[in-house]
Amino acid sequence: MALRVLVVDDHPSFRRFARRLLEAAGYEVVAEAADGASAREVVRRQRPDLVLLDVLLPDTSGFELAEELHVESGGPVVVLTSSRSASEFDGAIKRSSARAFITKRDLTPAAIADLLIGLA
Amino acid sequence: MRAVRLLIWTGSALLCGAMLLSAVHGIWPPAGKAAISLAASLAGITIGLVVWDRRPESRTGLFLTAYPLAGLLADLGSYYWGSSFAMTIALATSWLAAPIFGQLVLTYPTGRFTSRLDRALVEIAYGAAGLYALVFLVFVSPRSLTDSADWHCWVCAPPVTQIASRDLTGTHRIFDWIFVALALALLVLLFRRLVRATPAGRRVVLPLAVATCALAVEFLVQTSLYGTNLNTWTSSAWFVISTVTDLAVSVALAAGLLWLGRGRGAVAGLVVELQQTPPGGVRDALARTLGDPSLELALWLPERSGYVDGAGRPVELPELDSRRAVTVLGPSDSPVAALVHDPVLLERPALLASAGAAARLSLENERLQAELRAQLAELHASRARIVSAGDEERRRLERDLHDGAQQRLLSLGIALQLLRGKLGVDANGAGELLDEADDELRAALDELRELARGIHPAVLTDEGLGAALRSLAGRSAVSVTIAAIPDDRLPAATEAAAYFVVSEALTNVAKYAGTAEARVSVSRRNGRMLVDVEDDGVGGADPSRGTGLRGLADRVHALDGVLELDSPPGHGTRLHAEIPCA
Repeated sequence: MALRVLVVDDHPSFRRFARRLLEAAGYEVVAEAADGASAREVVRRQRPDLVLLDVLLPDTSGFELAEELHVESGGPVVVLTSSRSASEFDGAIKRSSARAFITKRDLTPAAIADLLIGLA
Repeated sequence: MRAVRLLIWTGSALLCGAMLLSAVHGIWPPAGKAAISLAASLAGITIGLVVWDRRPESRTGLFLTAYPLAGLLADLGSYYWGSSFAMTIALATSWLAAPIFGQLVLTYPTGRFTSRLDRALVEIAYGAAGLYALVFLVFVSPRSLTDSADWHCWVCAPPVTQIASRDLTGTHRIFDWIFVALALALLVLLFRRLVRATPAGRRVVLPLAVATCALAVEFLVQTSLYGTNLNTWTSSAWFVISTVTDLAVSVALAAGLLWLGRGRGAVAGLVVELQQTPPGGVRDALARTLGDPSLELALWLPERSGYVDGAGRPVELPELDSRRAVTVLGPSDSPVAALVHDPVLLERPALLASAGAAARLSLENERLQAELRAQLAELHASRARIVSAGDEERRRLERDLHDGAQQRLLSLGIALQLLRGKLGVDANGAGELLDEADDELRAALDELRELARGIHPAVLTDEGLGAALRSLAGRSAVSVTIAAIPDDRLPAATEAAAYFVVSEALTNVAKYAGTAEARVSVSRRNGRMLVDVEDDGVGGADPSRGTGLRGLADRVHALDGVLELDSPPGHGTRLHAEIPCA
């Protein structure tokens, strides 16, 4: 069964292409969300397996949202993403409860598959 | 009002003349002493009227006139003891001089109360004097006033208002003690006033205070030992003491007035002092000359139509009913300055005017300097606003690049990946073309990111100076050792200035220092942020070379900071910045 994915990003064009990329790689994108509030709602209703989460959101930070989702039992796996490099977040990625971080320009199905080894 | 004063003086003079004639032709009081006593009273009244005439706005002149006049009227009983009419006036005014004296002393020199306690004491004294008059005018025979030393009231006529005419010897002693207590309270309040006064105020009050003390001590001794019926006419010693102390009040007031009118001597010193006064020192010189350390100087700026202090900061003059007085120097439509001072100085208009005139030129200079300082302050503020607006614009540009072009390029990258998947393994060499397009895209993204970071690093906005500096050090072309770094957030302008100082310095190390290592330290001390970037390179950096350092210096100066470059040839370079961050 395909992994069910939620894409959270405030840029519509990125969400659209990310959805197509993930779907082409065999993932099931159950929803897209443009901010933290709607992402929480989707997670509650759809229970996705994976959340591709942008670090910088209009109403919250990806780190905070990852922490919230992590503490829920049976919560989804979170992969953080950003157009900025990891070094620009000053260690926050290492401290974060997300499973992994990937820059947007390195976002490929293969890279995600590498990050999720052992999950499926 | 001048006619009223003339009438009072003429009436008093005629009364004194009539009383003297009565003494000369009668058997009591002794003519010689009567002449001296009456002359002293008339002198006191004259001085009071002159003060009243010169300073009609102050009620002191009125009290100064009323005090000896009340005493003169009370003395009528000694001269015309057989007249019911004279006895009526004498008994009605027996103690009236006491509250008038209290009011004179406690309101000197303005004639107005400044404390509720002072007012209460005087009101009590008026009440006691009124009660005394009521008792002796209506109920108690004047014969009750008689003590062994005072024989004449055995034959005193009753006042016209007498109804009961009881003989109650000793009644007046009750009032003696009441007024002894009030005199003691007066001394306490006078002492309190002296302690609280500014030096200028103390100088005004001091002569009066000395005379008052003398009079009060005389009164206290006389009253507590003998009662008010001690016969000063028969005791030469007490007659001299009583007349001299009474006159002393008038003389003290005259001396006080002379001092208040003085001013040219002190102002001559001011003129000399102003020659050597450094800029900004006019206030101190004026404060010394006027004897008012609390003096404040407000300089008028015509362009702003408002007052500023010596540093060019706007100043509001106090309200008219406050405890401070304001004297405007120069024409009212175009003043030079205003002095905010102890109200007591209003009693010295000549000194204020002379000092103001003497300081005019210096005040003009001071005003020009204040104007300059105000303009500099405004320039400084506008520079800070420009830097702040520039930073805000940079942040906006960075966000636009991040949200716009960068996101589109990223989407394009994903589109290329999807395209590669759809084309299969290698459709007519399209895979190679896609690789090239992808490389170009990545290069474009890198360049865009560098551009955005150069405009304004997002990490600085989002994570603060510490994170931004660590990120900067991580990307730097040289190895950077961070000795100290702040963890808390600071005002955006301060963080940006510190960041760009370090960024520019590290760029210069990489370009010119000939070394691969640099040390960065950013710390806070005494409300200032200290930024240091050092290297052990070739030194010899020229601050005038290029626009980078100059722009940095402008940015730091706009925040009231300093930027120093120390770069002796062959001994490395140290860039040091201090930026206020309180």
